[in-house]
Amino acid sequence: MSITKKTDSKSRRPKAVKQSASQRKWAIGFIVAAVAIWVFYTYIMVHLPDGAQTIVQNWFPPTALNEAMVWVIAALGLNIVVGYAGLLDLGFVAFWAIGGYTAGWFMSSFFRQVNIHILSTSPKVVPGMHISFWGVIFIGGLICAFFGLIIGAPTLRLKSDYLALVTLGFGEIIPQFFVNGSNIGGFNLTNGTQGISPVDNIGVPGRSLSPFDFSWKFFIFVLLTAFMVFMSLRLRTGRLGRAWLAIREDELAASMMGVPLMRTKLSAYAVGAFSGGVGGVAYATHVGGVFADRFNFSISIILLAMVVLGGMGNVWGVMVGALLLAWINSTGLPAFGDLVNNTFHTTINFPSYNFLLFGGALVLMMLFRREGLIPESRLKAILHEDDESAPEIGGAE
Amino acid sequence: MKNRFRIIGLVAIAVLAVGTLSACSSANTLIISSDLPLQGSSFDSNDSTNKAIALYLKQINYKAGKYTVKFKIYDDATASAGSWDPAKCTSNAQAHVANKDEVAVMGTYNSGCAKVEIPILNQAPGGAMTMVSNANTNPGLTKPWNPGEPAVYYPTGVRNYARVCTTDDNQGAAAAQFAKSIGVKSVYVLNDTQTYGQGVAQAFTTEAKKQGLIVLSSGPFGEGWDAKQPDYTALFTKIKALNPDMIYVGGIFDNNGGQLMKDKVAVLGNNTAVKFMAPDGFTGYPAFSSMPEATGAYLSFAGLSSDLLTKIAPTGAGARFVTSYIAEYGKPPVGSYPVYGVAAVQVILAAIAKSDGTRKGVTDAIFSGSGITIPANESVLGKSLKIDPKSGDTNAIDITIEVIKGGKETTLTAWALK
Repeated sequence: MSITKKTDSKSRRPKAVKQSASQRKWAIGFIVAAVAIWVFYTYIMVHLPDGAQTIVQNWFPPTALNEAMVWVIAALGLNIVVGYAGLLDLGFVAFWAIGGYTAGWFMSSFFRQVNIHILSTSPKVVPGMHISFWGVIFIGGLICAFFGLIIGAPTLRLKSDYLALVTLGFGEIIPQFFVNGSNIGGFNLTNGTQGISPVDNIGVPGRSLSPFDFSWKFFIFVLLTAFMVFMSLRLRTGRLGRAWLAIREDELAASMMGVPLMRTKLSAYAVGAFSGGVGGVAYATHVGGVFADRFNFSISIILLAMVVLGGMGNVWGVMVGALLLAWINSTGLPAFGDLVNNTFHTTINFPSYNFLLFGGALVLMMLFRREGLIPESRLKAILHEDDESAPEIGGAE
Repeated sequence: MKNRFRIIGLVAIAVLAVGTLSACSSANTLIISSDLPLQGSSFDSNDSTNKAIALYLKQINYKAGKYTVKFKIYDDATASAGSWDPAKCTSNAQAHVANKDEVAVMGTYNSGCAKVEIPILNQAPGGAMTMVSNANTNPGLTKPWNPGEPAVYYPTGVRNYARVCTTDDNQGAAAAQFAKSIGVKSVYVLNDTQTYGQGVAQAFTTEAKKQGLIVLSSGPFGEGWDAKQPDYTALFTKIKALNPDMIYVGGIFDNNGGQLMKDKVAVLGNNTAVKFMAPDGFTGYPAFSSMPEATGAYLSFAGLSSDLLTKIAPTGAGARFVTSYIAEYGKPPVGSYPVYGVAAVQVILAAIAKSDGTRKGVTDAIFSGSGITIPANESVLGKSLKIDPKSGDTNAIDITIEVIKGGKETTLTAWALK
């Protein structure tokens, strides 16, 4: 508690200025990195010699980068729930699945009984609902936000571990619903384990992005990420965000100070779910389909690991964590395995040690850097309270 | 800051240097790849497939016509998913296309993964890239099945997908024909309410009616069993009143198949009194075959098992290959899919030999004109293998019938579909 007091009284003004300056630095860094990557893959890569291209393809294929950006979008959503509001959510995959299926429903030939085309890339003769990606993103986000409210309303009265268990339950139920939803009173809503594929290409004015338009897709995903970051940062500094942080640090104290617990928590859940939905739509268009039995628990866990590893509550940390883990999972470990196996003529199956690595990394993080790779300054201050001013705290308590 | 730039510069130089060193490949070397899940429960089978393909390429000296062929392995599973991962399938498909020397893909193992990869390979700039699968049994990939299939998977209108294994609908049909041959007169059909189970059960029901069997269950795919039920006594008591000769179960063992088997025997008696038959969703589970109640249960399997290959044509190319595999790796291939993987590679190699060495050439060789035929004396399936250039389906619609004996799946016969 003494920390909040300290920042309030003495160093409020300078700290805020310092913080926003640091945020600006990160934001500029993000834009510069995104532009550099975009220029590299669009213009430089094609002129590299074959060998170098192969190396880039093996270690940093553009498609893995795009996939990682999808993870970033969803992880930023989870960061609002876990990082800002401190609500442990073990079922975030539910929103990812709902978002994915929104894309499946509104951007494919699945509902063949209708023929709706709204600014879509697919030819008019193809039956089904074909709505532009830009519209579906919002539909997906809003549907998820709505479900976030519905799921949140009864569960958010619970605290910490109990809440985690209930969200875990929802994370299991919703994908199961999609698995079994092929016959709802005779209506095929989800196509069961067969899933819905293929999903329409993303359209930008004048063209439809084929699966090989990596640069364009990267640009779009970066745009979405930037929007999520902007939203997160603005919300955090606002009234709502400060209420979230207050709840995270001490729910009882926050409610004593007049923070409406239920409403504040629900809004965190809804905003997080919105991002999860956008991530789901982006995922479905990246993959080109949705498959019910692929939305499993491990996705929730990896998203959570991204948030914790990167630095709970710090959007830049979460972004770095998500990029890192997504890359390790999709490309890094297999590529590293190939390198080792080819060099030493071994046949070790490196990717199968993925979770051992995650687990080990998380244990080490908890031992040596509890606040994450790029910590949130506030969290860091709390976690290192003892090191800095132990006697004072001792006296205060 | 200065230091950082220096590091970036060094890295750039290193990358370029390595690039120029390895930038030498001859024009006549082509790459074919395999795209299989190498994590989780299907690892053994797919690892064996990769080994079999590597061995086969070594045996033919890496030659296909005037081209030299290199083999590249892709893994379409991620550790976090524990099995095939749609995102990995997407990125693999894009990587196949990005890899300039790669002309064709052997894969995938899972039909779901194929549904993601086929449309991407289909849209490859410069012409669709061919994929030949050894294990996809979902009918919709190549022929009309669900609404819109198979056209939805081929956005450019060109076909680029073939398979050397047969489809679920054939398996159900073969099971019905086999049932008739062992004197079954009436049958009750169950399904596990999932796509695969319903598909097989539907094919079985249709063929059984055609064969003149009395189908006692109603509906196109019989009655569904709920995998979450603690027991099925009531279900089988109801069936007992109808007095069927056989119970056909379309589904996978994971959906509480053990309990179903137990209750079937408890209510209807052992598998000689009332026969029990299931598709390949029940094969490969020691937990099932070791059940005392399962003794005498019939299983069907899409394809020929390796031991059947050596039994049917002991001097044929298939038997020789299995023998050489055992000699090389000290144990037989796991399941039957590895041999089918080699058969798929044979199709790809024949197409390369017929082509001009480009992706489009390979695709055209399979999907235009007379298509690809592997003569019986070369085919590892022990008989001539022909790919239909219109659909990409195979003529080798072999089904193996197995029976559980002494706690093990034992091959009973190969069933040639009528």
